[in-house]
Amino acid sequence: MNISEYNWSLTTLWVGLVTVGLIAIYSATQGPVAQFLPSYIQVNFYKQLISFGIALFLLVALQYVPPRTFQEGSYVFYIVGLLLMVLTLLVGREVNGAKSWLALGSFNLQTSELMKIATILAVANYLTSRRDISAENLKTALITVALILVPTLLVFLQNDSGTAIVFLSLIPVVLFWSGLPYGISLFIISPAVIGYMSIIGWYWGLIAAILLTLLVFILQRSTWLTFTSFATGLLLVIGVQVALFQILQPHQRARIEAFTNPSFDPQGAGWNVIQAKTAIGSGGLYGKGYMEGTQTQLRFLPEQWTDFIFCVIGEEFGFIGAGLVILLLLGFTLTLLRTAFNHRHPFAQLVIVSVATIFFIHFFINVGSATALIPVIGVPLPFISYGGSALLTNTLMLGICLNLDFHKRQFSIYR
Amino acid sequence: MAQRKKKRTQISIRVLQAIIILLGLVILGRLFQLQILDYKTYEPLSRQNALRQQNVNPARGLIYDRHGKLMVDNKPIYSITIMPASYDSTKTPLLAELLNVPVKEVRNKIEEARSYSRYRTSRLFTEIDFKTFSMIQENIWQLPGIGHQIESKRDYPIDSLQASHVFGYLREVSKEEYLQQKNYHLGDKIGKTGLEKTYEPQLKGEYGTEYVLVNAMGQNLGSYQDGAIDEAPVKGADLRTTIDADLQLLAEDLMDGKRGAVVAMNPQTGGILSMVSAPQYDIRRLSGRIDGDYWKNINTDPENPLFNRASSSKQPPGSTFKPLMGLMGLEMDLITPRKTIYNPGYYSRGRRYNDLADPGQYNIGKALQESSNTFFFWLMDKMVHTYSIDRWYELASTFGLGQPTGIDLPNETAGILPDSTYLNDVLGEGTWGIGDQLSLGIGQGFMAASPLQMATVASQIANGGYAVKPHLVHSIAQSNGTVNLVNPDTIKISWIGQQEIETVKAGMRRVVTTGSGRYYADLDSVKVAGKTGTAQNPHGEDHGWFICFAPLDNPQIAVAVLIENGGYGSQSASPIASLLVERYLTGKIDRPYVYERVKEFKYQTEDS
Repeated sequence: MNISEYNWSLTTLWVGLVTVGLIAIYSATQGPVAQFLPSYIQVNFYKQLISFGIALFLLVALQYVPPRTFQEGSYVFYIVGLLLMVLTLLVGREVNGAKSWLALGSFNLQTSELMKIATILAVANYLTSRRDISAENLKTALITVALILVPTLLVFLQNDSGTAIVFLSLIPVVLFWSGLPYGISLFIISPAVIGYMSIIGWYWGLIAAILLTLLVFILQRSTWLTFTSFATGLLLVIGVQVALFQILQPHQRARIEAFTNPSFDPQGAGWNVIQAKTAIGSGGLYGKGYMEGTQTQLRFLPEQWTDFIFCVIGEEFGFIGAGLVILLLLGFTLTLLRTAFNHRHPFAQLVIVSVATIFFIHFFINVGSATALIPVIGVPLPFISYGGSALLTNTLMLGICLNLDFHKRQFSIYR
Repeated sequence: MAQRKKKRTQISIRVLQAIIILLGLVILGRLFQLQILDYKTYEPLSRQNALRQQNVNPARGLIYDRHGKLMVDNKPIYSITIMPASYDSTKTPLLAELLNVPVKEVRNKIEEARSYSRYRTSRLFTEIDFKTFSMIQENIWQLPGIGHQIESKRDYPIDSLQASHVFGYLREVSKEEYLQQKNYHLGDKIGKTGLEKTYEPQLKGEYGTEYVLVNAMGQNLGSYQDGAIDEAPVKGADLRTTIDADLQLLAEDLMDGKRGAVVAMNPQTGGILSMVSAPQYDIRRLSGRIDGDYWKNINTDPENPLFNRASSSKQPPGSTFKPLMGLMGLEMDLITPRKTIYNPGYYSRGRRYNDLADPGQYNIGKALQESSNTFFFWLMDKMVHTYSIDRWYELASTFGLGQPTGIDLPNETAGILPDSTYLNDVLGEGTWGIGDQLSLGIGQGFMAASPLQMATVASQIANGGYAVKPHLVHSIAQSNGTVNLVNPDTIKISWIGQQEIETVKAGMRRVVTTGSGRYYADLDSVKVAGKTGTAQNPHGEDHGWFICFAPLDNPQIAVAVLIENGGYGSQSASPIASLLVERYLTGKIDRPYVYERVKEFKYQTEDS
């Protein structure tokens, strides 16, 4: 173990993100707003500070674990993870409508967070441990997708759709990896894109279907696949329109449309979006000043210490502060990917890329929701949002990546 | 194979990096759009979110009596409001506990408010005491949708002083008023009668604006920038009236249980010293929220307590018109102070007009003293034949009859003073004759006047023939300290001569010393001059009148009293007027038996 080979830049970025989080959580729970918050929320800052200490310890401890453990134990972790999730479904605690917490004494563990890294390890192991990796093997692809869909289903059953989306986002990345031709990978993920665009407007759906079909054709040059892709896309556009205007009641349709355009319904779920946009927009270039944001401090923001924490930053530190945090998040993700790029071993590469993807999906969904770029999906901002369980499991994921990177010479030997 | 695989991996990472950079730029672009380009949209939004602009109602102007005694004040009313849409019904037990009201009642009230409107704020409980109100305020953060309101109502600090028809009452602005006048908001109160109505623009004051910080729960977090940009309301102007509160109290006491009116006036200025219309309504019961039952009661009461008899009722003045007849006769040179005519006990002109006065020789002085109808029939006869009814009209109208006096109260009557045009209109041209005109000479027939008009006539005789404009407000004190005096001019009535006035005054003095006023109107301490009157009433018992002024040489008070269905004015009206004069000029009442008589006055029932 040569300490100089440790990835200090990634660690520094990690400390930076957690620090930004602590600053924002302090303002969101200890600022003037504290008078409107119950006392168990006011202590969130201190709880996060303690979690940071534990996370730091965890990160250091992880570096002493032999790197092969992660590959060799991956299926065991996966099975244990699934069992924990089933257990959560049976005896878990419900928070904000999602039954995804398992109480371990005084500590609440969100098992789906743990399942993310277990799934990543299992998928990476499955895809890289086989000698005869067959690039066009559809069976491999299907098993990979199944490995991801099983925990996804459990997360859905736990009623945590935000995390489920994060799981699903792993599918295109690993499919890409599994050696499945690009065109077929694209074909598999295209329905999601076309479906979403169709809700906004049938013409958008049609445009998406045509563009994706064109892309499939360019990548695959298969008349059969191109035709199937276009037919599927068209059916989807028509199906969505029929569902919206024939099957669903007007109020149900309105709710789905509000999903793609939150300004439709200012008093419902859209209210949060408007308050979030207002908070960020009113921050201006320099922000209103630390602990002086009216949206934050007068309690206009929902869940401002977790899902909407980016609004606190945007309002109080303005474009400069929020922009810097975005650059920090980008820098963190890109550094992770660079680490993967420099790694020689496919297992480590796939693990790191998957972790980077999951982090980025979190970043994008969280900030995209707060800035009303996408419909509001409740996921926390990794390392920044309050939450001990999330901070520890995210640090665990990062720590494994750091471990694989730190010990990359050991991989080279048996490669 | 491995090489291809490796290449593919590296391309994948590059593609992923590109996607991430692209999405990162999209987010940065979105931030730029929100925070830089659309800053002007969101900055005011966040301010409006957190800032609420509230109207601050100005304090309504106060009303004082002539000596500076406070008669009309303001008192806060505390109300709890509800916006049903944001109310959380699981909080009802808490709300009921804080209000100390049964849960069921609270639930009913909330249901009522909800059925009115789910999204509009309604009053849930009103006129709650301050302690309960502060309890609710402290806990308002636990009660979403519940708000509070402080309004003010009129308070009348002098116990038992009503002066209902002088002050008038306030009501919430009607929709029409609200739409017509810019300065009113829905729910504001506006003066509907009395001084409250006449001086509404002065009393009202101007709205202030207050900016308060609120949070997402609508909770008030105090003033914005310590109130630096708030605008204070401008308090309404205070009215200093000419009313003498003590005299008013006595007048109300004396009129209690009767139907009629009293007007006491300073004959030198026209300032009203007291004005009572009986029966009056309870002004305190109309000052807060509407007491529906009471409101319905006074509106359907056959005695019509909302009607201001003092300024708005029209009755024939009867014999109280005779002093003015005397003045006009002297002016027209139809009589002299010494000219006498013989009264056989009746006046004969086409038919016999009876006279209650004894037969004998009558000059103007004796005619006033004995209230001889014959003398005034004869005089009227002379007037319409020597001149015309229009000449009579011309002179009488200079005393303010047949037209509004211009007092600062709404809905004043003009009374009726007929001229030839009037009689043509009412009876038809050429169909009216001497009979219709003769009765005018004794204040009967078509003519009618309000007690206020008769008090004005008495004042104008008392002050030597100067026209006064009756008024209730002496000065208006703006909140910035400027005081505007309301001092209407008194103008000499051109045709009145000194000798004519002295003659009539002497006659009126004789009424009190030896005539019909001698029983109750004569005072040892002060020289009073007056005239009784009994207006014939075809619908029932006659109406009693009395007008007077005192002291004779330098009159300080003139009074007109009308007691509807009171019978002889000398019996019903004159004791009230004289008690007021006595009290006003001597500060006390030395004749308890007169006071007792007034208090024990009973209407004769139909069968007695």
